[in-house]
Amino acid sequence: MNITSFAFLCFYAVVLFLYYLIPKKAQWMLLLAASVLYFLTAGKLWLIAYPAASVTAVFIGALCIEKTKEPVKRKRVLSFVVLFCLALLIVLKYCNFGAYTYNALAERIPFLPGSLPELHFLVPLGISFYTLALLGYLFDVYYEISGAQHNFLKFALFGFYFPVVISGPIIRYRDVEGQLFEGHKFDYKQVTFGLQRICWGFFKKLVIAERMAVIVNTVYGDYASYPGTYILIATICFAFQLYADFSGGMDIVIGISETFGIRIAENFSTPFFSRSMQEFWRRWHITLGGWLKDYLFYPLQRTRRFGDLQAALKKRFGKKAGKKMTAYAAMFVLWFAVGMWHGGSWKYIVGSGILHWCYIVLGEIGQPLWEKLYAVFRVKKDGRIFGIFQQIRTFLLVCSGFLFFRSAGFFTACDMYRKMFGTWNPQVLWNGALLRLGLDPIEFVIAVVSLLLLLVVSVLQQKNSVRELLAGKNIVFRWIALYALLFYVILLGYYGPGYSAAEFIYQGF
Amino acid sequence: MTREELYERLNNVFREVFDDDEITVNDATTSADIEDWDSLEHINLVSAVEQEFGIKFTMGQVVTMKNVGEMADIILADSRK
Repeated sequence: MNITSFAFLCFYAVVLFLYYLIPKKAQWMLLLAASVLYFLTAGKLWLIAYPAASVTAVFIGALCIEKTKEPVKRKRVLSFVVLFCLALLIVLKYCNFGAYTYNALAERIPFLPGSLPELHFLVPLGISFYTLALLGYLFDVYYEISGAQHNFLKFALFGFYFPVVISGPIIRYRDVEGQLFEGHKFDYKQVTFGLQRICWGFFKKLVIAERMAVIVNTVYGDYASYPGTYILIATICFAFQLYADFSGGMDIVIGISETFGIRIAENFSTPFFSRSMQEFWRRWHITLGGWLKDYLFYPLQRTRRFGDLQAALKKRFGKKAGKKMTAYAAMFVLWFAVGMWHGGSWKYIVGSGILHWCYIVLGEIGQPLWEKLYAVFRVKKDGRIFGIFQQIRTFLLVCSGFLFFRSAGFFTACDMYRKMFGTWNPQVLWNGALLRLGLDPIEFVIAVVSLLLLLVVSVLQQKNSVRELLAGKNIVFRWIALYALLFYVILLGYYGPGYSAAEFIYQGF
Repeated sequence: MTREELYERLNNVFREVFDDDEITVNDATTSADIEDWDSLEHINLVSAVEQEFGIKFTMGQVVTMKNVGEMADIILADSRK
């Protein structure tokens, strides 16, 4: 049951109706039943056994950790449960990583014999999301940040909560604990705000992402026929597609949760306005970055091994450089993990991980050089023009990683780079060639106007809540705006050939 | 150790870590107030504070400290043990 399908909307409407009809005490039980039902209808029935096993293991593990005061035992339980959950994730999602890598190399290196067989497992819905959410809870109990939940069914609701298992955000137990289990009375403003947000998510997903996908698929599907500027344009379109698709999905699930009175973490904060890669990652997939920072990056830096490494580097290269180099080493592990999280393929490890690490490290190491260049060119660093330059530079750097992300594989991406830089054809920008990439002129205009609307709303969002802004307007203006958006989505949602009710890109993770 | 004495020492640690003699912290200071205080420098700062006061923050404290005031509370509580 896809969350943009009619069946899902009916399912959600029934749950929402019942939610405010039944006693408040029973609301969380309804959400649990709905979440389990959602899992059961998402694929083969037995696939629910995987999340059920992880939920049970983490629930019992957390209780044991809370009960035991002995550090060695606590650590042993933590390690066992973490390994169990990660083993499920690795077997189901990353089992072919080695085979893919070997086979890709064997194709290109003559003396490597044969190819390794690949295994194919059915993967439960949202395994990367629920695994991290559950492990985050376990670490919090271990670090004594929050207490363990003693009611299995309540904990199961946290593990299965249907809006977020689809494509995040990665929720923290301590943030939602109170809200998930307490009763919520009907709040008109909250419910309407949630519905507005859902509608905005559909706009991003169906009107923008689906149209961008047409151009992207045309070029990426046959990049040999569309070299040079075509690849650049398609990659920029993919950045908008991915953002509209993923953040649109977030608008829908956060909006759904809001209508239940449960506020969950934001995952985006207008990331394409970022002036640096570091800032980009504070504004894009925020909950993944936060999770990895708290449960991987900081603990890794606090290990004895990293302490020893820092001491050795400080001795060898000086205090300041030694500190920086240790941080870069820890960052490498972090970015490798970010890439791996997206999938067991080098195109993700490079495009969403190591490449970003390189940009950040080069940005830091090259700081003295950049400062000299700013002085030579008399750049006003606090000026508006320089700010826009930084935003465009960051966007293009991010796009360079997205090319790997969207391509069929690492070597295909390398070949696409060769084709992009090997052909000089800027004339496609003005000779009408862009209108032959699958979108006719009207569709093209709809895409551009919709992107501009997204830009205007994003600019407004930087200052205020757009929904609050709208709520402050008179009723006529408000309703015209809301109905206009609704009909814009219904009438202009892209339902092109082969349309499959929007399989969210991040749902695959 | 009084809170004033603690802040005197904390200011020195912050100035040393961030290489800026102008820094003066108070209860409300957060990472947003100091330009270089990002996730890269956070652990370096925590280690420097631990070294200065001879304490060890738990991972839970490292992750959840929201401002310098909370850091000071933990140091003072530890010094009273």
